[in-house]
Amino acid sequence: MAWLGSTVLNVFWKPTVNIVRTRYHAEKTRLIKRYGYEEKIWSGGTLPRTLGKPLPIPEYRPANAWTERKALFGQNDYIDILGPGDLHPVKTLYTVPSWIRGVNGNEYQILLRKRKMWANTGSRQTRPTKWKDMEKRISFLYRKLNRKTKTGPSPD
Amino acid sequence: MTSALISAIKRLHITITPQIRVYSSNVAAATSASTNSLSITKKEWAFQPEYTKPREVWIENLDTIEEQKLGLFELHPSVYAAPPRLDIINQNVVWQRKIRYVSWAHTKTRAEVRGGGKKPWPQKGLGRARHGSIRSPLWRGGGVAHGPRSGKSHFFMLPFHMRILGLTTTLSSKLAQDDLHIVKDLELPTDEPEYLAELVEKRNWGPSVLLVDDTDYAPRNITAATDSLAHINIMPVYGLNVYSMLKHDTLVLTLSAAEKIEERLLHWLHTNTREQSKEFKVNQV
Repeated sequence: MAWLGSTVLNVFWKPTVNIVRTRYHAEKTRLIKRYGYEEKIWSGGTLPRTLGKPLPIPEYRPANAWTERKALFGQNDYIDILGPGDLHPVKTLYTVPSWIRGVNGNEYQILLRKRKMWANTGSRQTRPTKWKDMEKRISFLYRKLNRKTKTGPSPD
Repeated sequence: MTSALISAIKRLHITITPQIRVYSSNVAAATSASTNSLSITKKEWAFQPEYTKPREVWIENLDTIEEQKLGLFELHPSVYAAPPRLDIINQNVVWQRKIRYVSWAHTKTRAEVRGGGKKPWPQKGLGRARHGSIRSPLWRGGGVAHGPRSGKSHFFMLPFHMRILGLTTTLSSKLAQDDLHIVKDLELPTDEPEYLAELVEKRNWGPSVLLVDDTDYAPRNITAATDSLAHINIMPVYGLNVYSMLKHDTLVLTLSAAEKIEERLLHWLHTNTREQSKEFKVNQV
């Protein structure tokens, strides 16, 4: 019956076990690789620039955000809604030259409009080279657009 | 027991007044001046709001540094309580920047650079690369191929109703964020800029203020005071725009300006805008 008693004891009682560490990770010795080799390349990050002139950083001059032009930017853009309704905002874009005011198009279209509007202003006589260059560019663009590029799909 | 309770409740004199204002029926339009010298204005618009309540704002003053509430005022919800559509505001700002933007960057082509007519050296026999002009894009000092050409316009016209929505959305956002104030008029007791700066500081209106009046000519004192304050600006109603409203921290409308804006926007919101919605043609505006 002694074995019965020991079996019962083994089932109901277990000895307490304390795990004791004798070898810690921090205490492990590292494996030394390539003994005697010295790394020539600096890998400790960026170094301060001590030699020579400093890099040419321009002096910081903050721009005035409240000049009259910037403070009143966009005034009268809704004049057709808030005003009496007889003036279009494009008519109030006084800062834009009249020949390009409210115009949208490619270089050829804008040049055609410019030539048409400048034709009777005397610009042709006073700046003949500029005028000739413009005519030359228009004819170049005409040939490019009509003979060398494909047109897009028809709008209709 | 029950009867005693009922009689006790009756003795309390509780009266229940209807909290909801009727919009559809013809409520008598009245400017009823009540006690405390506050003028409470109930407005009757030509186009009554159907489902949303009018927004109420205080009428403030500018003739003392401390804020005084002179009365209550109603603003139409279609104009001052529109949904805060940031995308519409952004589209309006982008439009405002682009309609006046023209890129003047310019480069000369090989035809426009001076010189370059003569062939620099013979085609064959020198062992050098063949060249026909010293102004070719390959050369230093030559022309530029596919460079920017002057007068590049970025103009486009935002649809009419997008611009109306831009105004209502921005006004509503300003009101919802407590950045829109209504004042009785723009009369100041003095023309010193320090007074106006102190008033703005005291009322926590933020450094920059946009004052909007109904008339073209503002009173002398406020023009003199704002003359040296670059961040406090005056604008007539027809000059109001989305960009300026966003650039300035606070928008201050006079009573008549608020009504005028409301009247114009309500007019366009309830009018046939077929003519205005047509495609933009440059020579036909």
